[in-house]
Amino acid sequence: MSSASNDNPIYGPFFGVMGAASAIIFSALGAAYGTAKSGTGIAAMSVMRPELIMKSIIPVVMAGIIAIYGLVVAVLIAGQLDLPANYTLYKGFIHLGAGLSVGFSGLAAGFAIGIVGDAGVRGTAQQPRLFVGMILILIFAEVLGLYGLIVAIYLYTK
Amino acid sequence: MSNKSKKLTVGGNDGSQSKLSKQRAHDSQDYSAFKVVLFYCSLIVFLPVVTFFALKGFLLERFFTMSDMKVNIGSAVGAVAALHIALGVYIYRAYFGGSKTSQFKED
Repeated sequence: MSSASNDNPIYGPFFGVMGAASAIIFSALGAAYGTAKSGTGIAAMSVMRPELIMKSIIPVVMAGIIAIYGLVVAVLIAGQLDLPANYTLYKGFIHLGAGLSVGFSGLAAGFAIGIVGDAGVRGTAQQPRLFVGMILILIFAEVLGLYGLIVAIYLYTK
Repeated sequence: MSNKSKKLTVGGNDGSQSKLSKQRAHDSQDYSAFKVVLFYCSLIVFLPVVTFFALKGFLLERFFTMSDMKVNIGSAVGAVAALHIALGVYIYRAYFGGSKTSQFKED
């Protein structure tokens, strides 16, 4: 009984809940920054080149995908949360690590997408050949969030 | 004088009509672009969510021996894969379809 209560303390699920919350909070923070920063670039560029709107939405879409990574991990973690009797402290630590890894990776990726999207969209309006380079840089920024997702899912399986 | 005024009004009508038709063409172009962007954005937002829950239900039903953890991970990976396929299709459309619309505009 005492070992069970040592393995399953009352505060065990706290770590899991914090993991699920931090997964979606930090991912959404990064996605919001990316959307807002590249949105100002799109607004400035569309005044002169409104026909490029379809190409220039891409940074906003990629910033939105960062939030979906966080959502997936948060839903996975929330599905395993349980009463303290069925939820070990180890599981709580694992879930906190998974949530933090996808959350902070998403935050970093969102910052990168925002800054690159702003400058890239403004540049594409003046030199359309820049579009391919902008897409490549955006994909490399997006992959940072994907790495966090992979690590989070790998942690989740432990 | 009346002739001049007539000509002027006719010319003005022509100008306003061409302006109106141009405006309508712009509006229809904007509307079609908006439809395409809205379709792809809703696809990218809703496709992974639908895929996640559909895959979860389907896998649970079909392969009942799989553990709950494996079902969750399989559906999460499937949702992310579907998301990236939708993003790839959007980028392809923006890269090749966007130049097409600008060509039409030049015509």
